Amino acid sequence: MAVIETFGLSRSFGNIVAVEDLTLAVEQGEVLGFLGPNGAGKTTTIRMLAGTIAPTRGYAIVAGFRTDHEVERLHEVIGLLTEAPGFYNRLSARRNLEFFAGFYPNVDTQSQVDKYLRLMGLWERRNDKVGTFSKGMKQRLALARALLHEPQVLFLDEPTAGLDPEASREVREFIKSLSQQGRTVFLSTHNLAEAEFICHRVALFRRQILAVDTPENLRQRLFNRQVVVQMDSAEDSVVDAVKKLDFVQVVQREGARLIVELADFERNRPNLVECIVTAGGRIQEVSETEYSLEDIYLTLVREETEGSNSH
Amino acid sequence: MRRSYIINIIKKEWEDTLSNLNTLLFVTLLPLIIIGQGLLIIYLVVRFAGKGVLMSTMFQTAMEKLETILPSIAELPAMDKLQVLLFSQLHIYLLLIPVMIAITFATFSIIEEKQSGSLEPLLATPVRTDELFMGKALAGSIPALVMTWVCAGLSLIGVACLGTAHILDAVVTPSWFISVFLLVPAVTVLSFLLGVIISSRVNDPRNAQNISLLIILPVLALIAVQVIGALMLTPLLFFIIAVLVGVVDLAVLRIGVRLFQRESIIVQWR
Repeated sequence: MAVIETFGLSRSFGNIVAVEDLTLAVEQGEVLGFLGPNGAGKTTTIRMLAGTIAPTRGYAIVAGFRTDHEVERLHEVIGLLTEAPGFYNRLSARRNLEFFAGFYPNVDTQSQVDKYLRLMGLWERRNDKVGTFSKGMKQRLALARALLHEPQVLFLDEPTAGLDPEASREVREFIKSLSQQGRTVFLSTHNLAEAEFICHRVALFRRQILAVDTPENLRQRLFNRQVVVQMDSAEDSVVDAVKKLDFVQVVQREGARLIVELADFERNRPNLVECIVTAGGRIQEVSETEYSLEDIYLTLVREETEGSNSH
Repeated sequence: MRRSYIINIIKKEWEDTLSNLNTLLFVTLLPLIIIGQGLLIIYLVVRFAGKGVLMSTMFQTAMEKLETILPSIAELPAMDKLQVLLFSQLHIYLLLIPVMIAITFATFSIIEEKQSGSLEPLLATPVRTDELFMGKALAGSIPALVMTWVCAGLSLIGVACLGTAHILDAVVTPSWFISVFLLVPAVTVLSFLLGVIISSRVNDPRNAQNISLLIILPVLALIAVQVIGALMLTPLLFFIIAVLVGVVDLAVLRIGVRLFQRESIIVQWR
């Protein structure tokens, strides 16, 4: 069941189009990574989905509520982590959370505040002024604030920005656990390794959607699978033998390594290995070229840039 | 509007303000200084420069006009008339207090939220912008009104202590009541609204306060024209001024409410 659905969602600021014709569906319990360069329109999209700004065209439905018409009801069921944590620095962590919890009907303020202060490891510092907190602590407190009312849908804008590696890992683990609880997470991030670790699917975005899929499917769609054969030495006779195979599409030699693209990859990989051994090649290792999410991202952004320039 | 949400905002605003020593002192000490200074100046003028002032044609003109408004003071000695003239300016002087406090609350609370980025998460809660606006308006206006009324009471005590007998009767006039209970609230609301409008365009509380200090100039001008006798405000004129400020309040409120929308706050406030 789709919890977030957008239909031609668009937003302009004067003559500048920030988001164009965004159509997307995110399922319940899914973590969707929303990736794109600076100025791509990610924050604008989150703001439209969170009902804090209105689209200029199209619409979105989040948790059953139109984001432009049913803002108050929408805000009861979503949580928003903004790019800047945004707290009242002279008030304590507890008082900050109590203040925000005070706007949610049917929330037991004290027990929810206590629960999330403990869960985020801030219990010992609960009475300290937020102004004395480190960036990581503020970010954890902001996550606590976004979760106080147990929202069905969470919008997280750069949740690990500026955090040290340990704090980042804790936040990532926590976001994963939210999805396991059945919550839907819309995650905007620059951190591609983080997106790969947390997200079920990623949407590559630059003003409009460039691609949406699982990282694995995007790899298969963008890149041909390649066998990497590491040998003692790549003799010409071995290379010639490989080239003669009818299922071999491309062969590259890099020192003692052969990189080969195959038709019907799974079936022909053993045949390739057999051919190399028969031709006298001494194989050290057989592996597959690995493409990271970063490769996918850069390829798509480059293609999009070239496409824009050619128009 | 939901009362619990508005109370939640007011409580937070006051806690936040009380935890800032500078603002706390500004809100509590400044009004006392304003009124103490006013009383002291009048006392010193009457005590040490009274005869010289009485010779001044400017003050004689002012006192003649005052007698037309307050015929009961015609029989008083000249020095007592001077005291009535000066002490009866105090309630106009009091207008400085709500102007300064309301503007300070508006500018500090909004600009600090802009700087810390706390407005956006707040706008993602179920609170409506009219509730947020009302909460902030009351959080700034209530202390401004209370402090002004406290200072109005203290000023009367001061008049009773420093002035000669019967001066108090001549000072507490219909004009005093109209000024304190109609004009002060109208000016408080106007000051808060102007503070909001200025804060939506400025990112530094000091800049906002510098700009908003221009609002006190009309108040100072009003005191000046009264003291030099250029214009002596009757109760009717005070009432008309209060109504006019109220009308301006409504016009400025429309601008303030339009600025205080989720969309404007997030997109246009920089």
